[in-house]
Amino acid sequence: MRICMASDFFYPSIGGVEEHVYNLSQMLLRLGHKVVVLTHSYGDCNGIRYVTGGLKVYYLPIKVCYNQCILPTAVCNVPMLRAVLLRERVDVVHGHSAFSALAHEALMVGSLLGLKTVFTDHSLFGFADLSAALTNNLLEVNLGMVNHAICVSHIGKENTVLRAKVAKHRVSVIPNAVDTALFTPDPYKRPGNDRINIVVASRLVYRKGIDLLAGVIPRFKNNPNVHFIIVGDGPKRDLLEEIREKTNMQDRVEMVGAVEHAKVRDILVRGHIFVNTSLTEAYCMAIVEAASCGLQVVSTSVGGIPEVLPQSLILLAEPDIDSIYSGILVAIERHRKSGFKTVNPNAANGHLASGDNGRGKRRHRRKVESDESQSIEDSLEAQNIHLKPILCPYRCNEMVETLYNWEDVALRTVKVYNRVIQERSFTTSELVVAVWQHGSWFLVFFVVAHFLMGLLEFWRPRSRVEPARDMQRLPS
Amino acid sequence: MVKKEKPKRAPWVKNLYSNREYPDNYTDASFLKDLRTNLHVRIYTYPEALAGATVLSNQISCITGFLILYQLLLSDRVTPTTILVPSCGVTGIGYLCYRGRSLSLALLGEDSKTLLTVVFFGYLFSPMLHTLTQAISTDTIYTMTFFVLLANLVFSDYGLDVAMVSKAISLNAAIFGAICLASRLLTSYHAFVLLVEAAVYFVLYPIMTEASWSPVFMVPIFAVCCSALYWISQPVLYLYASTIIFINFICPFIFVRLQQYKFNIHGPWDEAIVEENTDENLDENL
Repeated sequence: MRICMASDFFYPSIGGVEEHVYNLSQMLLRLGHKVVVLTHSYGDCNGIRYVTGGLKVYYLPIKVCYNQCILPTAVCNVPMLRAVLLRERVDVVHGHSAFSALAHEALMVGSLLGLKTVFTDHSLFGFADLSAALTNNLLEVNLGMVNHAICVSHIGKENTVLRAKVAKHRVSVIPNAVDTALFTPDPYKRPGNDRINIVVASRLVYRKGIDLLAGVIPRFKNNPNVHFIIVGDGPKRDLLEEIREKTNMQDRVEMVGAVEHAKVRDILVRGHIFVNTSLTEAYCMAIVEAASCGLQVVSTSVGGIPEVLPQSLILLAEPDIDSIYSGILVAIERHRKSGFKTVNPNAANGHLASGDNGRGKRRHRRKVESDESQSIEDSLEAQNIHLKPILCPYRCNEMVETLYNWEDVALRTVKVYNRVIQERSFTTSELVVAVWQHGSWFLVFFVVAHFLMGLLEFWRPRSRVEPARDMQRLPS
Repeated sequence: MVKKEKPKRAPWVKNLYSNREYPDNYTDASFLKDLRTNLHVRIYTYPEALAGATVLSNQISCITGFLILYQLLLSDRVTPTTILVPSCGVTGIGYLCYRGRSLSLALLGEDSKTLLTVVFFGYLFSPMLHTLTQAISTDTIYTMTFFVLLANLVFSDYGLDVAMVSKAISLNAAIFGAICLASRLLTSYHAFVLLVEAAVYFVLYPIMTEASWSPVFMVPIFAVCCSALYWISQPVLYLYASTIIFINFICPFIFVRLQQYKFNIHGPWDEAIVEENTDENLDENL
């Protein structure tokens, strides 16, 4: 199958959507599919590039308008998108992120070309503010032309079904995943004494609940053995630094600043507890990465977070200072009851010795078997989380690998592709009706795009578009 | 040979790591069970909406009243002193009502000092303000005045906690409009009186109405504006009257009728609301 991933968000930019597109593409390539990525140029990064595993990326020469997104013109990029989709003989166009104008345009062009289209929504939106209303309306129009939608959590599905008015059977839930071979525990990196390290890793913005964190930190002023390691940067950094100064906790609150994703693991393994104070989140990769590194997670119970991790790996708190503080105290108490600070990694079943720093790729990824995951759940849900000590960090990593891995995500996504491939393509009249029903204002853009496609078909017919040569994939 | 029954699949759970036996697009009966609509929505009655609309009508009438005074000064139907003296009297009464029992000699002294400073400097600079925009054509002045008074209307504080409200922009727009109009008057004394009236209408009057406003006050205000406009320009009277009637009676009616279509959606996807730390509340929170 030939798949085109389209999104404004891709490397060299760093973020959740970028990670998802990259890892999913790599796994699809490994499964024998042909994948190309469509994104806009990033400075010097333009033209056609091949990245790891022979993944072909089109960095299209389109100017960025706002927040790494192109200007949503709906029609200006039609010739370029058509050329790429025809050149690559694409079967399925897969757009990512409701914020991405390029994804929406690629999906529209794909629909007009009679290709099958899939859209993945990575975020949650409200309904009240103006920006959300406009985005929701645009999403509603676009999902009217899309064969199938994917959400990363059940809450995400509910949100998408409501805001885009899409039939619920046309929306699948396929979560994100984490490369547990990269996010491995290393208990030796933790302090050996009674000190407890609490790690926070997120952008320091209002949406990530940094105001809550700023209220929680002073509560530990009189707990000299509790230390905070804060990873990330943003407009709220000044607030945290001010809190640190005012509470005289300079020696106990370490502000690491922005760190590239590959190095986050090195900081995570220094911690015992991971705190996430987000105010809204569709999935939250950070907590899964932290759990994979063996940290006890304390998180606000917002959005899709309660769906992500089993009870033994996470303590959920209400999005208020008192509740988060209580959650951290419970996590500290559970840590004191367990003794994994000095555990011997060799004792963990089949894990690498600490000399490898726990970062070597595992040769044989364990397949996600339903009975295995079920047994894990049964053992988890039955226990009283507040009394039981926390799990061994290596067991945490093992569990996360079983629950969330890219192979599983890719296989489930391929099922969606197979399903849409079997559906018949939308006719032009069906697309017009869909656009008219969902957003009549968009019809003028759609008609112009359709007219432009007709013009391009006359000027440069499909038969005259030279197909791109496939790069031979090297055996891994 | 007895057929083995398929083992019954485990019940669907709302998490991302179970439900292997279910297709990814499976929708459980619990779908959207946490959906809540119209939480914390207050349904307004017609009298309430009517009372609320009078605040806007009052602001429109305030601007209209100021423009009536400008027209009277421009046409020289009345002398500036004829406007200034009653205005001072009404302002004095208003001040006494506003201060009420809290009035003391010290407070009176402070306020008198402020008043004298403003009046003295206003009178001192009135010749300059009178000629400030004289070079600009009358059409341009009137167009500019229209837009700045519209800005005054848009940015005024009507008692709503919204980002758009800006007392500073509102007041500055009104004063700028008054300065623009001052250049069309005959003498610098006329200009001084107009600026004093601008201060009364756009600074003191809003303070008074903010402290004690009743929808009933709109009746005499409307009557005074209408009777004044009757002698100045009947087309403007019709425009003013129809605007006030539309805003005060028709708009509230439409608003009340449209409330039945209110459909605010709430659910677990909503962003949690927390108090943002600012320089003011940071020490309290610590």
